[in-house]
Amino acid sequence: MKKLILTSAIVAAFAAPVAAETLTIGTATAQTGSLAYADAPTMQGMKLAVDEINEAGGIGGTIKIELLEKDVRSDPAQTSIAAQELVDAGVSVIVLPGDSDPSLAAIGVVSSAEIPAISTVASSPTLPEIGGDYMFSNFPGDNVQAAVSAKWAYDEGFRTAWIVYSLDTQYTTMPLYFRDVFEKLGGEMLGESTNTIGQQDFSAIATTIAAQDPQPDVVMTSAYEPDFPSLLRALRAAGVTSQIIGSDGIDSPTTFSLGDVGEGVVFTTAGFATEGSALESFDKAFEAKYGSAPETIYSAVGYDLIKVIEAAVIAADGSTDPKAIQQAMANLENVQGATGLITYKGTNGMPIRQVSLIRVKDGGRELVGQPTPDADLIPAPRMQ
Amino acid sequence: MFTSPRIQLLASAGAILALTLAAVLLASWFGPATERVLTVFLISLTAVVGIGLYSGNSGILSFGHVAFMGIGAYAASLLTLPSALKVATLPKLPEWLAMTELSLIPATLIAVVFTAVVALFIGAAIGKLEGSAATIATLGLLIIVHGVIIGWRDVTRGAQSFFGVPRETDLVTAAVACVLALLVARYYRDSVSGLRLRAGRENAIAAGAVGVRIQRERLVAFVLSAAIMALAGSMIAHFLGAFSPKKFYFNDTFLLLAMLIVGGMTTVTGAITGAVVITLVTEVLRRLESGFTLGGFDVPPIFGTAQIGIGLIILLAMFRKVDGLAGMKEWEERLLPVADLPDKAPVVPQAPATDTLTGEAMTMAFGGLTAVDGVSIRIEPGEIMGLIGPNGSGKTTLLNMLSGVLTPTAGRVMRGDEDLTGLATYQIADRGIARTFQNIRLFPNLTVMQNVLVAALSTHGGRDAPARAHAAMERLGVTGHAAADAGTLSYGDQRRVEIARALACQPQFLFLDEPAAGMNREETDALMVILRRLSSELGIAVLLVDHDLELINQLSDRIAVLNEGRMIAQGTPLEIRKDPAVIAAYLGTGRKTDTKQEGEMT
Repeated sequence: MKKLILTSAIVAAFAAPVAAETLTIGTATAQTGSLAYADAPTMQGMKLAVDEINEAGGIGGTIKIELLEKDVRSDPAQTSIAAQELVDAGVSVIVLPGDSDPSLAAIGVVSSAEIPAISTVASSPTLPEIGGDYMFSNFPGDNVQAAVSAKWAYDEGFRTAWIVYSLDTQYTTMPLYFRDVFEKLGGEMLGESTNTIGQQDFSAIATTIAAQDPQPDVVMTSAYEPDFPSLLRALRAAGVTSQIIGSDGIDSPTTFSLGDVGEGVVFTTAGFATEGSALESFDKAFEAKYGSAPETIYSAVGYDLIKVIEAAVIAADGSTDPKAIQQAMANLENVQGATGLITYKGTNGMPIRQVSLIRVKDGGRELVGQPTPDADLIPAPRMQ
Repeated sequence: MFTSPRIQLLASAGAILALTLAAVLLASWFGPATERVLTVFLISLTAVVGIGLYSGNSGILSFGHVAFMGIGAYAASLLTLPSALKVATLPKLPEWLAMTELSLIPATLIAVVFTAVVALFIGAAIGKLEGSAATIATLGLLIIVHGVIIGWRDVTRGAQSFFGVPRETDLVTAAVACVLALLVARYYRDSVSGLRLRAGRENAIAAGAVGVRIQRERLVAFVLSAAIMALAGSMIAHFLGAFSPKKFYFNDTFLLLAMLIVGGMTTVTGAITGAVVITLVTEVLRRLESGFTLGGFDVPPIFGTAQIGIGLIILLAMFRKVDGLAGMKEWEERLLPVADLPDKAPVVPQAPATDTLTGEAMTMAFGGLTAVDGVSIRIEPGEIMGLIGPNGSGKTTLLNMLSGVLTPTAGRVMRGDEDLTGLATYQIADRGIARTFQNIRLFPNLTVMQNVLVAALSTHGGRDAPARAHAAMERLGVTGHAAADAGTLSYGDQRRVEIARALACQPQFLFLDEPAAGMNREETDALMVILRRLSSELGIAVLLVDHDLELINQLSDRIAVLNEGRMIAQGTPLEIRKDPAVIAAYLGTGRKTDTKQEGEMT
């Protein structure tokens, strides 16, 4: 019982008063635990955006942003508790971790309180589908990335494709979206292979693909480390010369250090800092604040998350009412973020974002394109 | 049938109900966030006592119980998930399952039963393992079940989120489940099975010798604890609404075991203490780490302190209190230390044996060393037989073969016409053969009463067990210590309790391995009187090993002498005193001695 009394005393002591001209954003994110790799850099980007906006006088020059931070230790039960605490504290928007489990564990709390919630970097398009009207995502969806890479492949003149996917996680089923879009565009699937995450030996898959006559123009996968390098080596060793297409999971230093075998791989990711781009200035601002360049694109995506909330508050005529913000957010169009333009209008809460196509060239990154995908091409979320 | 005083059990149940009710009321008053904290706490506590029921009573630390939580979570959720969602997200489910849509309580009951059946098979498979091998096996269980859940995609959605589970676990549901689990765990601990299992934890060999089938009791506890884990699993699943296999893996195993070990594995009090302490510290640190203002200074958020806090508590607890904060006793056992002796109902005496116990040409070889070599021995009904011999002559080995602790390399143990060779110790105990041990093997953390009672309960179908236990304690004069822990008694008292425990088995043959060791003259004399009465009043045949030759000479009808693993003489005390081989063995050849001095030889 002492616990409860102590607990409430601490809550009372530390809960900040909500002033009229303040937008309180509650963050129930995974700053420790298995999801911290994504949520911690996202938080850095969010704080950068909050500081920028507040230094400029706040949203619309008047509404200051305040962050109420909770660490959920990558645990679903803790996320649901933290979400309830943020609801009780009267926040206007809640930021949830970058994974479906904890986000879904909190969505019951968030929905019944009618407060909009945004997942930091969850890319599964089923999350907002299951989560309902109050659940928004922030990252380019798996289906959006696949739509962009399929469209690019078709436009490049590739007509036949092979996919390698794993049913182990939602993310590794991204090639199934690629297949749907590629076929819709008129391309032909020559076949597909499945792997398990952590599979050491890809020679069987590589041999099968190499034995095709003619070989597929494209091999698409959303495998990531350590599977992707193994798969790539096996394919090249077996004599597969097809264009390899990957996803943002391989946007890591490893991919650029594979040497010859990695050359020419094309993958989709959330952003690319071209000269004079928003991402370039974000990177500079980030370095000025934290002393080093951002380690991953997640920081820029976190910055975008705050910019989306800012845009929603402005669109709601400066209202900090959660319901008004939720309405406004669902209808946002072309919000300028660090990684590009972001649109929620017409989606189920999974944003349409510019996706950058990167080619590995001379061990560095070369921008292939930054298309905004055609909404008609984006396949519906797969529930299975 | 419970084996501890009724007042303790009532006090415990009352406290569990009152505390839970108070916590629920307080949390409701504080609001929804506190309700959620308490709900998660109650579910964690349910799981902690679930692990404790097995690990605490059996002494085998289990890393695998969270797997049962996972099985329970998936099984219950598959039954409560709306049919439409099942058809959409799990198209390969069999139709009867896809069309089933139950509410929380029936779904949880089915999941609990299902998990218990799974646990029955797993428990039967790993029940033979002891100590750290058993612990490692439970670790394997965790990993295998995790793998199966991920691999069985058609039913579990693999590693992906299992979502859409109705959020039906509220504070009251979790509280009811937790109270149920606490009561089951508390009452199991002092049930017949729980007492036997704890006896096995305290001393496996002695437990076997008084008739306890440790493996069977372990299986009972394993299945019961798995059922509680399934209950906790169903609760957390219907609290979260979405989960995936990683929820039932190392992270939660670590957290729950931390609570159990910090609080104390062996008691429900410990489980509650550990869960409260760890939750309390995490909740405080969690609030502090989000940043606060102190005396005008803003302390920025520093995340990660909660985990460090848990780690420090474990270290601190292990340094200061190895058995956990609550120790080995329930709070009510400390505050209400009564023995609650059973009525001293007349005990139907065991009929004296009419057949003999014989060891025929028994040999025991340990590798190259032959400890006992072709020894034959015959114990007649109701007689007192002394077994003497120099150190290392094979007396204890012979006793171990006759009582089933060792299986002879060659030869047979016969009681009348029945061949007892190779029977387990608990089977030997039930055939009227009981024993004590050279180095006392009591159940030190059980009371004297429980030490004796468990023997009575585990032999002869447990008939009249309380009365038998009481009669045995009276006969040895240890009734006054009934409520004391056996481990706290003096050496002489421990010897007497051990004899009382053996006597509670109502044996027809009683083996006493150095019963007078460590006793002074008066104590030895008193013991002699007691032992003589066992033979004269109860007709029990006694096989007595001791170095106190005066004791042996005065008590024994016949004496057998071992030397270097061989029987060198058998006969009346008078015959033995004159036997040249015996004299040679004790004093070396070539020296004559006055037989009267033998009394001083030890």
